Amino acid sequence: MEPLEICYLSAAQLSGLIRRKEISPVEVVTAHLDRIQATDGVLNSFITLLPEQALAAARRAESQIQSGQYRGPLHGIPVGLKDLFNTAGVKTTSGSRIFDNFIPDQDCTVASRFQQAGAILLGKLNMHQFAYGPTGENPDYGHMHNPWDPECYTGGSSGGSGSATAAGQCTITMGSDTGGSVRIPAALCGIVGLKPTYGLVSRHGLTALAWSMDHPGPMVRTVEDAALALNAIAGHDPKDATTSRAPVPDYTSALSGDVRGLRIGVVKEYFEAALDPQVERATRKAIETLEELGANVSEISFPMYEESQAISGTILMAEASAYHRELLARDGGLLYPPVRLRLEAGLFISAADYIKAQQARTRFNRAAAQLLEEVDLLAGPTEPVTAPPLLSTSVDAGGQTLGITAALTQYTRPYITGFPAISVPCGFSEEGLPIGLQLAGRPFDDLTVLRAAHAYEQATEWSKRRPPI
Amino acid sequence: MATPGRLSKEAFLYLAQQAGLDSADPHMEELYPYVVNVLASIESLAQIDVSGFEPEMAFAPPEVQATSVDPGPVG
Repeated sequence: MEPLEICYLSAAQLSGLIRRKEISPVEVVTAHLDRIQATDGVLNSFITLLPEQALAAARRAESQIQSGQYRGPLHGIPVGLKDLFNTAGVKTTSGSRIFDNFIPDQDCTVASRFQQAGAILLGKLNMHQFAYGPTGENPDYGHMHNPWDPECYTGGSSGGSGSATAAGQCTITMGSDTGGSVRIPAALCGIVGLKPTYGLVSRHGLTALAWSMDHPGPMVRTVEDAALALNAIAGHDPKDATTSRAPVPDYTSALSGDVRGLRIGVVKEYFEAALDPQVERATRKAIETLEELGANVSEISFPMYEESQAISGTILMAEASAYHRELLARDGGLLYPPVRLRLEAGLFISAADYIKAQQARTRFNRAAAQLLEEVDLLAGPTEPVTAPPLLSTSVDAGGQTLGITAALTQYTRPYITGFPAISVPCGFSEEGLPIGLQLAGRPFDDLTVLRAAHAYEQATEWSKRRPPI
Repeated sequence: MATPGRLSKEAFLYLAQQAGLDSADPHMEELYPYVVNVLASIESLAQIDVSGFEPEMAFAPPEVQATSVDPGPVG
């Protein structure tokens, strides 16, 4: 098999070949390292690449599998982690040169669980500094570039995860989503990005942006791979008190392709907001496809949608500034200026406003939960636009000019509920840039989110397209 | 840029100092209008009726594992 073909196989496909010993983990890892070598000069997905470590792990995996110690579907699968997931012995920068020499002595729980599953870490992925931005800019390690058009943003903050997955540099990557940082780059890079229910995946060992809103989530090329990754990393962690003790199902069991009778609510406020007509057409067509597959589609109103931006903004800014307060005092001048401004501004949010935002979040969550008694899923676009040009500060969305941050988080920040949400590719613009469909569901009903996304994916060809790079 | 009505420059500089920032730094000239804009963007919070709703992060004591503690000599 051609190395490039190996790089575009899904984890599910690769694992079948590895389990049957038709391909070796060494061959898989070598193909990916070659792909990174060939493309990362343009994409800049990686902050740290681990070729020797990865090849050594691949040789161990090969030996284990040859001797009958096959660990499961992630054994020998190449993964990459956003550079805010702590990795023992490997520098973890959070996207800032300030932490260029920070080498954790312990793995975060996600890294540890991937390792237990036999996955092979290829490296640490580029990101918006401290995960505080939706574009994928990074002056310290270089901006991330979109594989569909390197002159465009990847989206952020998990931009390196988005580009690495889309370009076949890694089979599975991990991002973290606070106001959209998994779903935004997933939509703009044409891949699948899952924000699992808050509390399903441990945050232990991750640099926080906002403790009560951070969700580690997989970024992959197929919904099945999202389920496989979630199987490996979900579940209670004594080191993260916010993780749930609920039993973790087999998420691949959701992938029946059957959405008959599923009630999908189309959020009307999404389509009343500034929205690129090409994105609107693709999203409506995707929802029609789900209807043709047997889902019951109805238009619904998302209560408190307008207020959600102020609620999420207050909580996010206050928590981020609290987390980074000492850093600001010590090294504020070394931060990327837009990140510095955001962090400093959060210091001016009063405790009373923060608490009020948390009260409002309770009210918002109750309203959202009530809505999700009437329907099983909420549907709409992930982004109002396709990937904007690099370093643009505003975008045109259906004739309205929006600031870049407001635009890219328009549909992702309202999910302050901790409910699961996924972005799945649903089309391309005339310029060849990807468009994402967003589906959100009830807390701890990630199965239904995955089921609908998978059924849609299987009914269309979008996920099979490859970027020109 | 929002009109700096809610937060005066003097109040801003005082709060900046209290927050541990160097209020004499020329960077404050850039930060001030940014903060004014941010505070304006969250003003709509005041319009939300939250009566009867507790904050999401209401405190819950941690679970403590029962351990066998030697009570020492009895009597």
